[in-house]
Amino acid sequence: MTRPLIEVRRLTAHAADGTALVRGVDLRMEAGRVTALVGPSGSGKTTTALALLGEAGAGVRLSGHVRVGETEVVGAHGITAHAAGVRGGTVAYLPQHPGNALNPARRIGAVLTELAALHAPSGGGRNASRALSRAALEQAQLPPERPVLRRFPHQFSGGQQQRVALAEVLACGPRALVLDEPGTGLDTVTRAALTRELARLARSGPAILLLSHDHAMVRALADDTVVLEAGRVTARGTPEAVLPAAPAPVTVRESGEDPDGGAKEHPEDSGEERPDGTPLLQARSLFAWHRRRGHNVLHDVSLRLRAGECVGVAGPSGSGKTTLARCLAGLHERLGGDLLLDGAPLPALVHRDREQKRRVQYVWQDVHDSFDPRRTVIDQVARTAVRLRGRTVDQAREEAGALLCEFGVPPRTAARPPGALSGGELQRAAFARAALARPDVLVCDEITSALDAETAERVLTHVEHLRTTRTAVLWISHDLRLMRRVADRLLVLDGGGLAEAGACARVLARPRSEATRRLLDAEERGQRRRTALPAEAGPHPMG
Amino acid sequence: MARHALRRVLLAIAQLTLLSVLVFLLTSLLPGDAADVLFNDKTGTEQIARLRHEMGLDQPPAQRFLDWAKDLLTGDAGTSLTGGQPVSGIVAHSVGATALLAGVTAVIAVPVALVLGLVTGCRAGGRLDRTVTAVTLALGSVPDFVLSLALVAVFALKLGWLPSTWIGATTGDLLTRPGLLVLPVAVLLARTVSQLIRQFRAGTLGALNSGYAQQARRLGVPRTRLLLRHVLPNAAVPGVQQLARTGDALLGGVLVVEAVFAVPGAATALIEAVRSRDVPTVQALTLLLAAAALFLNVAADLVSHRLSPRVEVLR
Amino acid sequence: MSEHTAQPPPAQPAAPGSGRRAWTAGKKGTGGVVTTVAAAVLFAVPVLTALFGPLLAPLAEASGPGAPYALDGRHPLGTDGLGRDVLALLLRGGGSTLGSALGAVALAYLVGGAVGLAAAVSRHRWVDEMLMRPVEVVLPIPSLLVISLVGVGRHGNAWAVTMAVALVNTPVAARLVRAAALRAAAGPVAEAMRMQGESRLRVQLGYVGGSVLPVVAADVGTRVTGAVFTVAAANFLGLGMEPTAPDWGVTIAASREALLVQPWSVCAPAAMLLMFTVGLNLLGDRVLDRRDQLPPRGHRDRRARDRWTRVRRARVLPGARKEGRA
Repeated sequence: MTRPLIEVRRLTAHAADGTALVRGVDLRMEAGRVTALVGPSGSGKTTTALALLGEAGAGVRLSGHVRVGETEVVGAHGITAHAAGVRGGTVAYLPQHPGNALNPARRIGAVLTELAALHAPSGGGRNASRALSRAALEQAQLPPERPVLRRFPHQFSGGQQQRVALAEVLACGPRALVLDEPGTGLDTVTRAALTRELARLARSGPAILLLSHDHAMVRALADDTVVLEAGRVTARGTPEAVLPAAPAPVTVRESGEDPDGGAKEHPEDSGEERPDGTPLLQARSLFAWHRRRGHNVLHDVSLRLRAGECVGVAGPSGSGKTTLARCLAGLHERLGGDLLLDGAPLPALVHRDREQKRRVQYVWQDVHDSFDPRRTVIDQVARTAVRLRGRTVDQAREEAGALLCEFGVPPRTAARPPGALSGGELQRAAFARAALARPDVLVCDEITSALDAETAERVLTHVEHLRTTRTAVLWISHDLRLMRRVADRLLVLDGGGLAEAGACARVLARPRSEATRRLLDAEERGQRRRTALPAEAGPHPMG
Repeated sequence: MARHALRRVLLAIAQLTLLSVLVFLLTSLLPGDAADVLFNDKTGTEQIARLRHEMGLDQPPAQRFLDWAKDLLTGDAGTSLTGGQPVSGIVAHSVGATALLAGVTAVIAVPVALVLGLVTGCRAGGRLDRTVTAVTLALGSVPDFVLSLALVAVFALKLGWLPSTWIGATTGDLLTRPGLLVLPVAVLLARTVSQLIRQFRAGTLGALNSGYAQQARRLGVPRTRLLLRHVLPNAAVPGVQQLARTGDALLGGVLVVEAVFAVPGAATALIEAVRSRDVPTVQALTLLLAAAALFLNVAADLVSHRLSPRVEVLR
Repeated sequence: MSEHTAQPPPAQPAAPGSGRRAWTAGKKGTGGVVTTVAAAVLFAVPVLTALFGPLLAPLAEASGPGAPYALDGRHPLGTDGLGRDVLALLLRGGGSTLGSALGAVALAYLVGGAVGLAAAVSRHRWVDEMLMRPVEVVLPIPSLLVISLVGVGRHGNAWAVTMAVALVNTPVAARLVRAAALRAAAGPVAEAMRMQGESRLRVQLGYVGGSVLPVVAADVGTRVTGAVFTVAAANFLGLGMEPTAPDWGVTIAASREALLVQPWSVCAPAAMLLMFTVGLNLLGDRVLDRRDQLPPRGHRDRRARDRWTRVRRARVLPGARKEGRA
């Protein structure tokens, strides 16, 4: 076997306090192959990846052996003096949040040209650098035109920023790429497009190290997979050999049979209506705008929610999902159309009475920002019962404590300010804060997107439990797999309008709108193996 | 950028207009107008009334404001109540020294503060950083006039190295006798530079800790290049914004410095006019100085917008 | 881009890793306590002098007037140009300067804070515009110019100086408070509290007000120092009080030609002013030091760092939150 481009042997990393972050990792990367580094957060993925650049966090000591090309980057005594030479030109790193990695004060063209000139093998002058930077932009799927080159990073959308960051990396002409959780924060459609582009990039030559906890993306891209846990390699091999089996539901679509058989098509079966047929919560032809009437971000959306029912709302980012949720919660006030609770008009939050507030509750997506950093979590959760259900402070604290405990947030943790809780704990606390109102309608806005699978599972259990107490749930998510599990009916939004609505299983099995098809395609691409897509699979040495 | 600049300039014009109204209101409508100043108690009320009529003081305030503004736009700022000479002459005569003081200060302050801010920001916590920070903190705590007196006492009176006053000197002499400028400019520099250094240093720290600087390092950009091309444009932003606010400190400093060193500048003329209740002169000079501060504000704003196009919708 | 115009951010205290930090960074532990105590003493001496000095002044005046600029045993700090006892002047002269400055800042925060808070929590955009537009216009006017203008009409009036300084500081305070309050009032915490049925008062005073306080606390130090400078400078320049008034600034101005003959008449009041501003700056530093921490380092703490960056960015773009969130 030929000498690999990058070789890592017995790499260890210790934090300043002596904790071992990485305990003897071995890694080989070859040109044209994608190696995935998989593992939970804190498993040492990033520390290992940064070691290839000869970089370590503050106070972190590296030792072992890392060779990149002909350069020894890490030796027995830590990072070597030659390490700086490999950065950019030989190994380039694409960070997780590209928005932060772009210089806000500089036009992207100037930075691209600068990087190209810096790493160009023999100079070649300004024109050569310009040509290189244009090529990099093209490779990153951005038009290499002057107006684009003259733009500042903030003039690009989130997905485009990821491409600009990729172009900057490619402009250095690296022989190896480190991709740190690419696609974080992108919706499924954009993420699928990114996966396709990365696959194309992988075939063009460089060795790629992919850090990801997204198994679908790893399956689609990686040739080899290395699983890290607590700083140790626990498994390695092809993705299908190492990763748990891909979830099956995708096949439902091809199976040809009609899974919803008719029963689910009748909404009555999934929720209860009052005897007179009035739904619990109803929105009729809802319009919403931000700054000027007429510039609608939501137009003509109607929905009915029955007691005990869960309605899912899906759609790409920017389709108006959150706006719809905020309208129902009364947080978005610039709206037209009717909002009815039990047939009676439901005003914006400021005009709701106590009972109306209690009956419709909302759980925030970004929990860190929805808790007051100066008060303890239990105090903040308990206030719901005090204000909305007239409990005394002591009763409320007791109830809140019990509920939080049930949700897996022990009393001692809950007695701390929110900064001391993990994201998962806080998310459950946010859920408890809303659930303590014993609401009739609970609006959940992407509440699992920041959670790992296990925590998301716990939250789902609580949602299902709530539904047995006849609470209706509006579940907003772009994750269709979860949607299949929780939602009875599904609304698909696109560009602020209703693209499709119907029983969840039916919509996902036989989509009638283009938007739904795009969402499904994106999900499917993410789950199938790269080799299963003949149009994109390139020849590569080992199967 | 062009749209932003246009909007900023339009706002500045609105500000200037409102400012002139304010100046007029505060000076003209106060009890005791120019006619009272010109004559003392012994003058008959009839005489005063006639004078009022001649000066147009019996017109309604709005009319008077319009007349005043119209005259001002045509370059006629009225006649001084104390000396009888045209106000525009007083302004033209005094403005040179002030502009020279402020200009020299700015030309020295900005590069010095930028370099020191960048260096201390790069080596935050180092010996140089601690020294500079301590000195700027100390200088920032000394009132301008106290500092002026201290410098005069040491360098002019005790050591006799530098002149302590401009009495007898004209604006023309300044270029031939640069020693005259040293002490006043030193006082002006003390506060402006220490404020600017803090902001440039903070900007440098922020930019160095940012994701884009980290990424540039990871892409192999060498240190000097990183500082000059990636960090500097961002690091300068808070400093330039501070520059917009410096107008106040600088102008306050100019007033004090001119008074202490008897500089024949706009500020001296202004204080003299305030003491003698020479309303037209006060109006013209305040408007001029405020317009200068406004100009500085707009210029700094536009520069910081160019440096960091993202910082846009600020109040 | 909204139709708001660019103005420098009001956030002096919010500058990342504020320049003052390193000053005390190396002096944690016992050194920190020493600095704090020293700062408190520096600050207390002029304040106590201003408060209780007038009560003690008759004792210093007991020996009667002396010769101009005399330095004899009868007057501990000598006399000034009018033969008055410098110590007595010192004891009497603090109230006007410090009182004017503190009063002006308090007034500025009272009015400006109310305007800023009202603008931020108002649910109508036009209220916000109405309240804040005038503020933008007044913002760039230098303070001493306002004092000059006011001084033309009402010479020798400490109130006029106070009002002028307050007028100049009000817009700054309004902007600062609005920016801080807007971030809080439009943020998810306030929304979550309203969702829980909390009263408007509790959300706005309890939470929004509470979020504004640290920002104000950090700013008050610099603002009072600035006000003291302005008031003292105005008195020094003769734009404020009468040239014979017992005021630190006036005394310095009146005796400055005798700087070498009778240094106490200038140095004593100057030292008082210096102690006040240095002490206040140092104390303010201690407050900022505890509040303003550098971002968490190291990639392991990435989430914390991202949050930090977001908070910082929110500080830079105070208007950003006001628009609806898509």
